[in-house]
Amino acid sequence: MFKNYFKIALRNLWKNRTFTALNVVGLTVAFGVALLLGMFAVFQLSFDRFHDHGDTIYKVYSEDSGPYGIEANTSKSEPFAAALRDEVTGVEKITRYSGSGVLLTYQDKQLGMGTAYVDPDFFEMFSFPIVKGDTENPITSESSVAMTEQAAKRIFGDENPIGQTVTILRDEVEVPFNVTAIIEDFPDTSSIGFDIVLNFKSQNEHAYARTVGRWDMENHEVYMQLSEGLKPEQFEKSTADFTQLHYKNEIDNAKRDGFEPNADGLYRQIKVLPLADVRFANFNQGVVSVNRTMPYLVLGISFLILFIACVNFINMSIAKSSQRLREIGMRKTLGANKKQLFFQFWGESILVFLMSIGLGILLAVVLLPYFQTLFRTQASLATLLNPSLLILLIFSVLLITLIAGGYPALLMSRLGTLQSLKGKLQVNGKNRLRNSLMVLQFGIAILLISGTLVLWDQVEFMRTKDLGFNKDQVIAFPLNGKLNDQKAIELLRNTLQDKPNIVSITASNNILGIGKDGNRTTSVLGFEHKGRGVDTHMLVVDADYVETLDLNIIEGRSFRKNLVSDSLSVIINEAMAKQMNEDDILASQITLDDASYNIVGVIEDFNFQELDQHIAPMTLFALPNWNLRNVYVKVTSQNLEQAYDDVKTAWNTIEPNVEFQGSFLNENIERTLRNERTMITMIGSGSILAIILSCIGLFAMSLLIVAQRRKEIGVRKIVGASVSAITVLLTKDFLKLVVIAFLMATPIAWWTMNKWLQNYPYRIDLNIWIFLAAGGIAVLIAMLTIAVKTIKAATSNPVESLRTE
Amino acid sequence: MKNTLLSLNEATRTVNSGSNKVTLLDNINLNVEVGEFISLMGPSGSGKSTLLNCIGMLDHFTDGGYTFLGEPVHSMKEKNRSKLYKEYIGFVFQAYHLIDELTVYENIETPLLYKSVKSSERKAMVADMLDRFNIVGKKDLFPIQLSGGQQQLVGIARALIGKPKLILADEPTGNLNSKQSEEIMELFAQLNKEGVTIIQATHSESNAAYGSRIINLLDGKIV
Repeated sequence: MFKNYFKIALRNLWKNRTFTALNVVGLTVAFGVALLLGMFAVFQLSFDRFHDHGDTIYKVYSEDSGPYGIEANTSKSEPFAAALRDEVTGVEKITRYSGSGVLLTYQDKQLGMGTAYVDPDFFEMFSFPIVKGDTENPITSESSVAMTEQAAKRIFGDENPIGQTVTILRDEVEVPFNVTAIIEDFPDTSSIGFDIVLNFKSQNEHAYARTVGRWDMENHEVYMQLSEGLKPEQFEKSTADFTQLHYKNEIDNAKRDGFEPNADGLYRQIKVLPLADVRFANFNQGVVSVNRTMPYLVLGISFLILFIACVNFINMSIAKSSQRLREIGMRKTLGANKKQLFFQFWGESILVFLMSIGLGILLAVVLLPYFQTLFRTQASLATLLNPSLLILLIFSVLLITLIAGGYPALLMSRLGTLQSLKGKLQVNGKNRLRNSLMVLQFGIAILLISGTLVLWDQVEFMRTKDLGFNKDQVIAFPLNGKLNDQKAIELLRNTLQDKPNIVSITASNNILGIGKDGNRTTSVLGFEHKGRGVDTHMLVVDADYVETLDLNIIEGRSFRKNLVSDSLSVIINEAMAKQMNEDDILASQITLDDASYNIVGVIEDFNFQELDQHIAPMTLFALPNWNLRNVYVKVTSQNLEQAYDDVKTAWNTIEPNVEFQGSFLNENIERTLRNERTMITMIGSGSILAIILSCIGLFAMSLLIVAQRRKEIGVRKIVGASVSAITVLLTKDFLKLVVIAFLMATPIAWWTMNKWLQNYPYRIDLNIWIFLAAGGIAVLIAMLTIAVKTIKAATSNPVESLRTE
Repeated sequence: MKNTLLSLNEATRTVNSGSNKVTLLDNINLNVEVGEFISLMGPSGSGKSTLLNCIGMLDHFTDGGYTFLGEPVHSMKEKNRSKLYKEYIGFVFQAYHLIDELTVYENIETPLLYKSVKSSERKAMVADMLDRFNIVGKKDLFPIQLSGGQQQLVGIARALIGKPKLILADEPTGNLNSKQSEEIMELFAQLNKEGVTIIQATHSESNAAYGSRIINLLDGKIV
């Protein structure tokens, strides 16, 4: 029996090879792409899930009331972690965490290493297993270093790393560290990443020693493990006394300044965020929001694409079933029951699906490297090799096969014996199903196309927006060498001073956009001004900062060339001026703990943060001998490449052992748009695929319809219909569907895109043209698809089509 | 001694065509004995095919009684009914209705598959049938490669393979030339001699003459 089914299935598929091919191609592409997208989404969603105690690990942050409402603050002060553990019940384990890059030296090798500075509890909380060396107290000593297998390999090659001594540059001194432990390489799905781990106290003076015992200097993150059985909400409630004790001033000031309390009525509250949510949390816009839209969107797109391909399959199967009516009738007459027929036809579908899935997997494997580069992801097919996930995957494939293959099979098996023998197909409602499915298909395609267009528009807008500084002519790079910052800048100035294409050089302790090294910091400063609390971003700059970046001075002056004379001067931005609300801003001062600073100038607001944030108050300081992390070099607008090479050569002579990580600021801005770019590529390729697959379906339908209406076309031509009239006749029905799809998809697209745009204070206005363009593209492509067959049918000689009758 | 194979008692078949009720078969009374060879005759639309389909249980009477081998078909469930015809009835069609995608061998084999006959037994039965109809050499050909007469031969072989008690043939020679027709009718006569009951619908007087009894239908009534 089975053999018989198999044989007839193969022969049938071969007989209808055009349709089989269309189906297999469509389903293969859909399965392949769905597999890749699914893999990507699963990879994203499985971030930080590999820790054994993951369920009880939380990131600690606080909700602070500020002038702009609630701000989520993840930075904590040096005494915070220990005090929280000692004073609040429920803290099982706690560790401070600070990540940065260090320069590690071993013999004649100098290597940049991603470093995590943590407390000893770290290894007991997180599952970073130690495979060699001291498993008990790997970093308890301040001169110990633990490193990943990979890092050890990079440093020592095949030598045994345990017990070796390496030196790490700290405060311009080479400090020796003893390798005590090797950590197993951890999965790519870890949001905590490092090459080496050091004791928290091993940080430099600026980051640690200076902050000991001070509650007002917040510069690191804190992770804690809650006691078993304690709910995070309970814990958060029980921290009230703790905040009251340590943050009394802040709370009182917030009340005095009339700030809004948070949802619990508190002006400062310790909160905890589950580890699994950390990667998806947004701490930048008020209350922390956890947002997994991206992976789910990707998953959604993969389902939509599968859906479209399955719709093609269903539509084609149903349409083709009219050709098999006699077989169905005959089989029934020969004694087949419904169940047997159902399994026969379903089996045929399974054959097509199995073939497509096989080819789809192959396609995914072939496309994987390109996919990984395109979407900057480490996700691989191994991501999906997890028993429960595999079961889910197999189950969903079965379900898809059951529905897409089973539904037409069910329809066919239920046909009446006599009707099918006579070759008469009852058409009740089947076209309605086909039409609704096609409307859905095109609706999805139009939705994705308009999404792509809006996204692209917004990203172009952000990329080309005037950010208030010169981003085209300024090269920025991190001071990543051994030299003291001021020394390095001075050397650079000397080296480049006679180059005609270099305009000016400056430095600051922060970067605009994201540099090649990917490091970013922000410093926020809070102080009292005339009995009010004022917050400002703090930027420490070198001479010529305003000039190098072409910032606009709107009041007062810039810093002097002789920066030392301005060490007690500050320049503020408009937002800051507005916040201070002074009649004569240039006569005002900012009073901090150590000194008073005169405001000497006001600059026009510029977007020093990303465009999903409003421009915050900002103060420029000219403090001497500060840790300046980045150099900015303005070059002339001619021959930017040559200028870049000059800067690179200069830096390579000054710091021969480190990599030059310079890039123009517009590249830095581009880097901040990576997520959006990924989303565009994702949705964009999704929409292209959706429209191609929909058109495959449409093409198949037009083939069938034209075949079915051959006689009608012939008769119409004989009674005088023109070619164009017939083309319109055949095209009309399908175009109607596309138009309905457009009308249905556009409001949904509008609503969704509008909601997405709300994330950006700087955004484009949605206009109907984008959506009309999306609809137009769909209609045009649909028309071209059916035109091939319909025009051929319309121009064919009517005698031929009638002769066959 | 004569056994009744089936009997129809005031059997009626009506259909609704638009708002009109059309009577296709009107109070048919008929007794068929085992071993009969009945020819149904009558002009197009007289109800021959409908009667055959109803007897073959592909269609059903809307009124009246139908007893097959002593069992009341009219009050049977669909499932039992299909079991019954699977077991006892074979069909031969004017248009042969072979399955295009299957070879001669496979076409003949199909009814056995639906009866869940064992593989070895199936092979023997099909081989036997091919032999008997002299089409062993054509067993691997597809229907499209055969002449009409040969196709009908395969159709009959397929109808016979299940060892039915009754063969229903709806204009079995309608698509054949006279020589092929004669061969097929000879075959039917031969089968009838071997004990198979046959009911055929036909236009042709000469074909009808092969039968042991002729029933004339007109406008759904036996005349």
